[in-house]
Amino acid sequence: MLKTEALRSNRRRHTTSTPKIAYLAGMIALFAVIPVIYILIRALTGDPELWQRIIQTRLIKLFSNTLLLLLAVTTGTTLLGVSMAWLTERTDVPGRKIFRWLLALPLAIPPYVGAIIHLALLRPRGGLISQWLEELNIPSTFLPNPTGFWGAAFVLIIFSYPYVFLLSAAAFRSLNATYGEAARMLGRTPWQTFWQVTIPSIRPGITAGALLVSLDILAEYGTVALLRFETFSSAIFVQLAGRYDRSAASILSGVLILLALVILYGEFRIQGQAQFTQIGSQWRPAALIHLGKRRIWGFLALFFTVLVSFIIPVGLLVFWSTQGILDHQTFSGMQIGSKGLVSFIFNSVWSSGFAAILAVLFSIPIAIYVVRYPGKISRLFSRLSQVGYAIPGVVVALSLVMLVNRFLPFLYATSLVVVMAYVVRYIPQAVRSSESAMRQLSPSLEEASRLLKRNAFQTFVQVTLPLILPGLLAGSALVFLSSLKELPATLLLRPAGFETLAVRVWIWSEEGFYFQAAPAALLLVVIAIIPLFFLLRRESIFKQ
Amino acid sequence: MLHKLWPVLATITLILSACAGSTSQPDAISSIENENSLSGKLIIYSGRSEPLIQPVMTAFQTKYPQLEVLLKSGSNSQMANTLLEEKANPQADVFITTEVFTAYALSREGIFLPYEPVGYQNLPDAYKAEDASWVGLTQRMRVIMYNTDLVSPDELPASLFALTDPKWKGQIAAAGSTNASMQAQIASMIQLVGQDQTEAWLNGLIENEVTFFGGHSDVRKAVGAGELKLGLVNHYYYYLQLAEGSNVGIIYPDQAPGEMGIISNATAAAIIKGSKNLNAARAFIDFLVSEEGQEIFAEGNYEYPLLTGVALHPDLEPIVGLNMANIELAQVVNHFEATFDLIDMANLP
Amino acid sequence: MKLEIEQLSKRFTGNQYPAVDNITFSMQTHEILCFVGPSGCGKTTTLRLIAGLERPDQGIIRLDQRIISDMHTFVPPEKRNIGMVFQDHALFPHLSVFDNVAFGLQGLRKAEKKDRVSGLLELVGVEALAKRFPHVLSGGERQRVALARALAPEPALLLMDEPFSSLDAHLRLEVREQIRNILKASQSTVIFVTHDQEEALFMGDRLAVFNQGKLEQIGLPETIFHDSGSRFVAAFMGDSDFVRGTSVPAGFHTELGLLEQQNDYSPGTAVEIAIRADDIDFQLNQQGNGKIINRFFRGAFNFYRVELDSGAIVHVFKLHTEIYQPGERVLTYFNAGHPLKIFTL
Repeated sequence: MLKTEALRSNRRRHTTSTPKIAYLAGMIALFAVIPVIYILIRALTGDPELWQRIIQTRLIKLFSNTLLLLLAVTTGTTLLGVSMAWLTERTDVPGRKIFRWLLALPLAIPPYVGAIIHLALLRPRGGLISQWLEELNIPSTFLPNPTGFWGAAFVLIIFSYPYVFLLSAAAFRSLNATYGEAARMLGRTPWQTFWQVTIPSIRPGITAGALLVSLDILAEYGTVALLRFETFSSAIFVQLAGRYDRSAASILSGVLILLALVILYGEFRIQGQAQFTQIGSQWRPAALIHLGKRRIWGFLALFFTVLVSFIIPVGLLVFWSTQGILDHQTFSGMQIGSKGLVSFIFNSVWSSGFAAILAVLFSIPIAIYVVRYPGKISRLFSRLSQVGYAIPGVVVALSLVMLVNRFLPFLYATSLVVVMAYVVRYIPQAVRSSESAMRQLSPSLEEASRLLKRNAFQTFVQVTLPLILPGLLAGSALVFLSSLKELPATLLLRPAGFETLAVRVWIWSEEGFYFQAAPAALLLVVIAIIPLFFLLRRESIFKQ
Repeated sequence: MLHKLWPVLATITLILSACAGSTSQPDAISSIENENSLSGKLIIYSGRSEPLIQPVMTAFQTKYPQLEVLLKSGSNSQMANTLLEEKANPQADVFITTEVFTAYALSREGIFLPYEPVGYQNLPDAYKAEDASWVGLTQRMRVIMYNTDLVSPDELPASLFALTDPKWKGQIAAAGSTNASMQAQIASMIQLVGQDQTEAWLNGLIENEVTFFGGHSDVRKAVGAGELKLGLVNHYYYYLQLAEGSNVGIIYPDQAPGEMGIISNATAAAIIKGSKNLNAARAFIDFLVSEEGQEIFAEGNYEYPLLTGVALHPDLEPIVGLNMANIELAQVVNHFEATFDLIDMANLP
Repeated sequence: MKLEIEQLSKRFTGNQYPAVDNITFSMQTHEILCFVGPSGCGKTTTLRLIAGLERPDQGIIRLDQRIISDMHTFVPPEKRNIGMVFQDHALFPHLSVFDNVAFGLQGLRKAEKKDRVSGLLELVGVEALAKRFPHVLSGGERQRVALARALAPEPALLLMDEPFSSLDAHLRLEVREQIRNILKASQSTVIFVTHDQEEALFMGDRLAVFNQGKLEQIGLPETIFHDSGSRFVAAFMGDSDFVRGTSVPAGFHTELGLLEQQNDYSPGTAVEIAIRADDIDFQLNQQGNGKIINRFFRGAFNFYRVELDSGAIVHVFKLHTEIYQPGERVLTYFNAGHPLKIFTL
């Protein structure tokens, strides 16, 4: 009896005819996926001899370096992120409400800015800390080498853990007290309950966070380049910036994309499961664990994390900025040609803002199609449009340089190519926000509007749009934040005279002009905090 | 239902591309050679480190306030790549490179528009293109700088090849493979001492755990701070570090009779074929090789001006009296492929 | 005829069986027709086909003599002049109660709109809530606002899709009475979907019983209950149990004994007899034909579950004073006083 409609989920139905929105969604998915396909084709049709040489000389080293870093950073971020989440969500550690905010703020600091500060502090002899130590006549030789694998892993952990922190804190928050209580009634000690019930329940959230971090690490250029630890991303950048032939860069990019696609696929699989920790109507928060005298240790752990990942970097930027602005010569050095800080801010804001608007506009048809017409094709489109997660900025730049110059020469060497790179790279974030906003919108609202004499377009404008707008804004805030911090694609694609804050921070720091770079970096962080604040306010853990 | 938004989007795109610094609109080329009439945009691609090119750009900008001087700087080969990519769709007006081989190679690809700037005859023939498609600006040498607090004069390495001596293990800084000066040096060495010896030297550097930085600014700072004892740099980085008050010294390597001599090179500039502001491009090249421009390079950057008659910076060691390597430009250019092969084989970062 | 449906069918892609299978019926003006059936029986899909929210694979839908859907025509929902009350009410969360109700009143002048909305809010008894937003309303209030909104454009036909399913049980009884009165007062023509047979019997002027995409029976509530057209209708609408029997000249031979009843079947035909708890009785008897499984106390009654020796389960009403223990052997027999419904196997 139930067979006929058992396959059908509650209200979401298939219709036989292809809706118009499908074509639009298809075009957008195509736009998002072309750069990847182009690079893969370039890689696969690469000279076999070159392939062989790359496999012999580079590949093993790059693979082991990249995977090693991936492993270290995901492990580190998971440990740090989950423990911070546990402390702020499940214990009575003092100041936990404030710490929730402070622990999320490092998301406003691009990791390469973190790396610059890390280097400035820790360089043996040259670094600030070693200089202070020398003044105090303490030998600085015990300081660890800030560069290489451990340096890169440390910096990336410090500035990526908030992803895992936010996702696992949300998971801790949504965990119903009854699970833990049931486990206790079934004879488990609190410790057993934690490992056998709590951790498995929040595992999807943690895994999703860790996989997103992995994708970020694969894409990270600035940090590994500064700290001189060679991964695929930095090797591709070296190929692009240092060689006349792009074949090797294409081949390395192809391999990197394949690696990233594997991780992305895993992330897609996890996504579905991540939902089993939703807050239901019977939800009751689990009782806080009383740390007693150990509270002070919990507090210190939180404080130390915030100190290292936010207070020190921002404090140093503020200090340098004041030095830089007070020093006339440094201040005048902040001009590039006729362009000054104001122009860098303007460029950063408009390019990221425009990318955010475009990404969200493009994400709407995808979201409508996949949510209202679920099926293999719509899911394929949705996933294709999210492939950008797996294309690091360098690779986006490589493919856009070649594609745009061949097929859209009038766009070439305009700042719109930079915007296009942001859109390709970050549209997945917009697609996810828009999809989740659409999913929360009951289709009956749109149907009610149709029956109240509105056509499909009127319904979209009068009902759908106002109701999904907060979700769309969140998506655009996310894209804005990411685009603002983007470095490698901007460096490679920007037209002459197009200077963004990120570009200036990078070029000045590369030359060692920290005082000059600091105000730009500080502005970057301050501007990034605005969308970040808006995004965090939507998170369940910041609602009381 | 969204298709109705497309016209709106298209309009926004157009407006933004118009105001986003689109460089594709041709600027009217005035036929009157009135210097003060220069206007529009002058787009400069530079493979040189930004601070080294800024002063001369600023001076030029001050001279022509109507002109909007736009700079895109990156690594030398990144900019060269871009120029090759843009051959059919040129964007830049002027290219400034940190070494002549790139200029030579790009000239062979037909990227440049020949131009003989004012005072062309006063520039040395060794650093001019035969067809006047590019012109040398300043000369510089590959030297070793050292931290005088950490290295005593009697143990100084006298040759580039001494850098592979294990006694310097982990104490040398150099620029990595993306750096054009480094690339050019390797290409020159292939011509001077042969491929095998160059490869051995590179492998020696790797074995000696040389710290490779992205650029020479990092190298000079590392040596200046005493983070590392020796640095392989262009000579002016030593002077720039010295000017910051660090205790550093300079070594002119391979000076003994029979040794290879100092590897020198020149920065160069050229006008891009298809430049949309030819007058401004010409004026800029004129300015670069003018006495005023050459003085800026000499004074601010400690470079050796190529224009005869421009005074060296007083601290600078005159070239006369130094044993300079005999570099054959046309030959070295042919070694570039081998250079990149060596770099890849040695896994130079 | 107000609404005529002919041979309407719909199969969703990926499903083997049609959700709506060749359905034909018609209804009168001012009538309340109740679609009833278990979940997944096709009643909601039929409703959505009428609304224009789904496209049929075949069939004709005619509203007020106008074809709104057939092989060539598909009038979009906004042009059908049909109103709908959704299961989740679907009140627009970004609009106030007033604006929700006014949403369907395009083209009216402001004053007219205001009058009409006030009139409707008064009709459904929520005039005090005009400025509120849906999220602060109670379930019953939302229900009534949703009805007012659907009635506002004066639709030719009103569709209600399980409108009470989100309400608490006690509220449901209260609301459904009010709603039925409002529907009757506004002289609406209504199709009302429910899976609750009791609600269907209460709400519908006529009932249409759906099963597996097919329309099993359509008729007055009494007919459906007493004269079920199929075994399914008897089971679903009539709470019937079934015992097997064989046709004999005097009636039907069963394990409960002989049912004396006029019979048109040829002797020897295997049949099933639908029986309700008040159609049979039992006595304690060690040599009986079954045993008591359970007793459920229902206030005025005891409700016994009896397993016959054949394994068939039947239910029996007894007075609240008659208490027997599970496990006791009983003799169960017919005690109807009216003809029972017979179905061939």
